[in-house]
Amino acid sequence: MRALKAENVKKILQQSKGARVDVDVPLKFKSGDRVLTRNINPLGHTRLPRYARGRQGVIDQHHGVFIFPDTHAANGDKNPQNLYSVRFTARELWGDSASETDKIYMDLWDDYLEPAN
Amino acid sequence: MNGGHDLGGMHGLGPINPEPNEPVFHEEWERRCFALTLACGFLGEWNLDMSRRARERMHPARYLETSYYEHWLIGLQTLLVETGLITEEEIARRMGEIGAEETD
Amino acid sequence: MSDHHEHAHLPDTVLRVKALESLLVEKGLVDPAALDELIDTYEHKVGPRNGARVVARAWSNADYKTRLLQNPSAALAELGFTGRQGEDMVVLENTEKVHHMVVCTLCSCYPWPVLGLPPVWYKSAPYRARAVMDPRGVLKEFGVSLSDEIEIRIWDSTAEVRYLVLPMRPEGTEGMDEESLANLVTRNSMIGTGLPLSPHQIAHQK
Repeated sequence: MRALKAENVKKILQQSKGARVDVDVPLKFKSGDRVLTRNINPLGHTRLPRYARGRQGVIDQHHGVFIFPDTHAANGDKNPQNLYSVRFTARELWGDSASETDKIYMDLWDDYLEPAN
Repeated sequence: MNGGHDLGGMHGLGPINPEPNEPVFHEEWERRCFALTLACGFLGEWNLDMSRRARERMHPARYLETSYYEHWLIGLQTLLVETGLITEEEIARRMGEIGAEETD
Repeated sequence: MSDHHEHAHLPDTVLRVKALESLLVEKGLVDPAALDELIDTYEHKVGPRNGARVVARAWSNADYKTRLLQNPSAALAELGFTGRQGEDMVVLENTEKVHHMVVCTLCSCYPWPVLGLPPVWYKSAPYRARAVMDPRGVLKEFGVSLSDEIEIRIWDSTAEVRYLVLPMRPEGTEGMDEESLANLVTRNSMIGTGLPLSPHQIAHQK
């Protein structure tokens, strides 16, 4: 492999592709759906924070299809999935002494979510 | 993983203490560590998610007691050694050589 | 080891970084000129002045603001603000009723092309722990007091989507040009831990 050259730095930074994957994956959820985050506790990499596991939220919007970090970190498998912005009330995450009005949003993939009952 | 990095909701960490007009880098080694991490990432031996994982694996007490770029340094060394690009012996030897040079 | 030198030894961290760079250059894996270019880019070329220009344009130009909110990545690309850690952008508009605040509890995810590299406080444990749980307490520490009627929305950047807050245009700024407006836009106001400056808070230039 060859070292990155100074004259290519600008290009490689600006033309970064990001994590979006140009493939269609059937939507598991749509905006407005109530969801429950899974209570997963993997030893490997995940982007579902502990404070948001086993909690009820609402799908706010669909961002598109993205690389799934849990598998990508484990073995390079992109495992593209739908990524959603999910909205939680402060009280759902922190209990009854939390703000009545504030909301917490985070971006979560298909594999982190189940339909809420 | 349920590591020291998963901080949302933790108590007892003290005030945020934002530094007014802080510089982008506080030390020269931070500059080099930042650039080395990005440059090595472009070698294609690992992806961004793997680099985050490499940082997350450190002992939680160490995570909380070290600075941001120290996390990057620990993660970078982990990745370089685990992908076989550098060995720990090489690093230790070179550190010794540089240390000896700098004190002469 | 010599026992008669009394020089302070270089800290382990400094030695380790030097050793890694030395080995990587020797092995042909990194080019020192590329390292310098990477440093120069993020120390001097990319920073929150980029985001300030975006905000100032949105304040001045209703069509641009619409594009920015509906298709942020494309609108930012109009000004050349593309690339690493900003490939998929969302812009969050503060209103009389809603105040947005951005965090990455798990690491330090931040929209580099418009804000540069994140400040130490953003990457450190206290902010990452408290922003999602006690946003009003965090804002108070930054000197911002919001009424209880305002809904605070905290965005935890768990994926590669990156967030930029579009703060509200301050009072008394009618007729100001984009450059002057950009001077009111602080970095913290684009993260959501601050508000833009008002015209009388900023010294007149020339």
